[in-house]
Amino acid sequence: MESLGITYRVIGPELVLTVTGVLVMLLEAFSPGKKVRDGILAAAGVVLAGVAALALWDEGPVMAFSQMVIADGLRVFFTLVIVLGTLLTILVSWSFLDEERIPPGEYFALLLFGTVGMTLLVASNDLMMLFLALETITIATYVLAGYRREDLRSTESALKYFLLGAFSSAFLLYGIVLIYGATRTTNLAEMARIMSGPLEEAEIVLLMAGVAMLLIGFGFKVTTVPFHVWTPDVYEGAPTPVTAFLSTAPKAAGFAAFLRVFSLTFAPLGIESAADQLASHWVSAVTAMSILSMTFGNFVAIVQTNIKRMLAYSSIAHAGYVLIGVLARDWAAVAFYMLVYTLMNLGGFAIVALWARRGDKWVLIADYAGLGFRQPLLSFPLAIFLVSLAGFPGTAGFVAKFWLFKSAWGAGFQELVLIGVLNTVVSVYYYLYVVIVMFFREPKEEVPRIPLSRAFMTTMVVALVGVFYLGLLPTRVFAFLNAAQNLLAIGAR
Amino acid sequence: MERALFLIFALTAIVAAFNILLRRHPLHSALALLVVLGALTGLYILLGAYFLAMMQVVIYAGAVLVLFLFVIMLLNIRAEEARLERRPFFRWLAVPFALLLGAETFYLVRTFEENPSPSGTSIGVTEAVGRELFTTYLLPFEVTSIVLLIAILGAVVLARRG
Repeated sequence: MESLGITYRVIGPELVLTVTGVLVMLLEAFSPGKKVRDGILAAAGVVLAGVAALALWDEGPVMAFSQMVIADGLRVFFTLVIVLGTLLTILVSWSFLDEERIPPGEYFALLLFGTVGMTLLVASNDLMMLFLALETITIATYVLAGYRREDLRSTESALKYFLLGAFSSAFLLYGIVLIYGATRTTNLAEMARIMSGPLEEAEIVLLMAGVAMLLIGFGFKVTTVPFHVWTPDVYEGAPTPVTAFLSTAPKAAGFAAFLRVFSLTFAPLGIESAADQLASHWVSAVTAMSILSMTFGNFVAIVQTNIKRMLAYSSIAHAGYVLIGVLARDWAAVAFYMLVYTLMNLGGFAIVALWARRGDKWVLIADYAGLGFRQPLLSFPLAIFLVSLAGFPGTAGFVAKFWLFKSAWGAGFQELVLIGVLNTVVSVYYYLYVVIVMFFREPKEEVPRIPLSRAFMTTMVVALVGVFYLGLLPTRVFAFLNAAQNLLAIGAR
Repeated sequence: MERALFLIFALTAIVAAFNILLRRHPLHSALALLVVLGALTGLYILLGAYFLAMMQVVIYAGAVLVLFLFVIMLLNIRAEEARLERRPFFRWLAVPFALLLGAETFYLVRTFEENPSPSGTSIGVTEAVGRELFTTYLLPFEVTSIVLLIAILGAVVLARRG
């Protein structure tokens, strides 16, 4: 059995999540409707998966299952980010499940299986594995987006997501096929080895076409302009807790795969090689995607009246910032950014979900008028998360952006950093606009008092502590990431 | 013999492919697609990819096409026909795409001798596929089962009675 490379420890997090998912599903079948039991079980499984991921730390960079999966620093850290995102999503969904009378078992099971896909995506060391992991994520999230079936917007959201998702998957798969044709392998480590030498001209052409297709596919999955068209509609129509999930954990996983494929495998070596011939092309393509995402996302976010759409465009803009980190080939900066983004975005969406109430009705920015001093436990955290998204000093958003821009500046992407900084200034306008509406506008009708559940308060505490801890004392996480960087993979250079 | 068979299958595939586009009734197009898939099966057999040929019949001709036919019959697309016809914009869009495809074909035909097809390998034989599936691709194979499980679960969730 040794020759097949079957080592269960290496897929520990995935095993734990899958078993928990099946367990939750079966429990729902035999005794349905027990939200607390299912929820706690799901949360426990997710936490255990995080522990299993941390246990991989001591293994060092190791590949298993015929080099299909890899355990290295990048995987461990991103798995932890994903686990955090899923955990917070379970908490955000808590009261939503009651209000909408949704059977909790299937919901949690889908969430868990989706998470399996994400952790697998982060662990993939083979394009075949990568594609399957992506499909696992997207199929689970298509269904989650359409969970409120009687609502037309939710159904529209699911259908749009499904059609464009299938479309982008086709691009991705075609890209993989072409790359396989050029390098005769789907394994990333092997690919990096082959590309460190020269290739024939016909193979280079094939490789370029394949990588372009791959870029389009990834562009869809991590919502970058010009492949972003589905994002606002899907984010608006999906149930708010699901939107919160979509904008954080799958995106972190997508960027992890993006980093592994582009920043690590297709990295230029500075010598005469296929990788270098390719690199100049993908770098300029990703630069264009980054600039477009930042600029378009931020400027269109300004004119939005619906807060979910506004956050969708903000999410596109943030994807643009993150691409700068991908270009700088500093995966630790990207990982930190995604951790921070997960905390602040999920925190923000938790409040949006609560305020939207049954049927997702109060989602306009104007609906937030007068919230400020009438329900400070909602308005102050939301203000903090928005300020952090804008990147104010003292919050985690600032540290994350600062690190990202600093490493890009050092890597020679000065123009890109300038555009990023200018865009950050633009983004302050629409983030602060919500704060102004909350505190300085009078409401048209009586503002209802919304009861705050324990799950909601827990989310707030976790997200707020995270935002301030990473904003003020980020050194310990930095040290952890530095250690993780030394643990980077064999296939990566 | 092999060359004659290749020509027969290839020509059948091309003629049937044109038929898919030229037929007005979607049902006829779907049946023409069946012919294309059948002809491709013949080509796979000629290449020695027996497993691939079998899968082509089982999955595409068997499952996917039946699904197509079901959907066409359920939707009763006949009523939509007239509306789908009038799209002059798409017709103009066809010109650049046809040119692109033509250029690609030209390039392929010109470089054909330099890149011979990898016939004679045993990649498409059942034993080779099975061996790979349960050794190299063991983990992806298992993950496929999770994908299927999610698909079933998702279908149940979305089709459930309110």
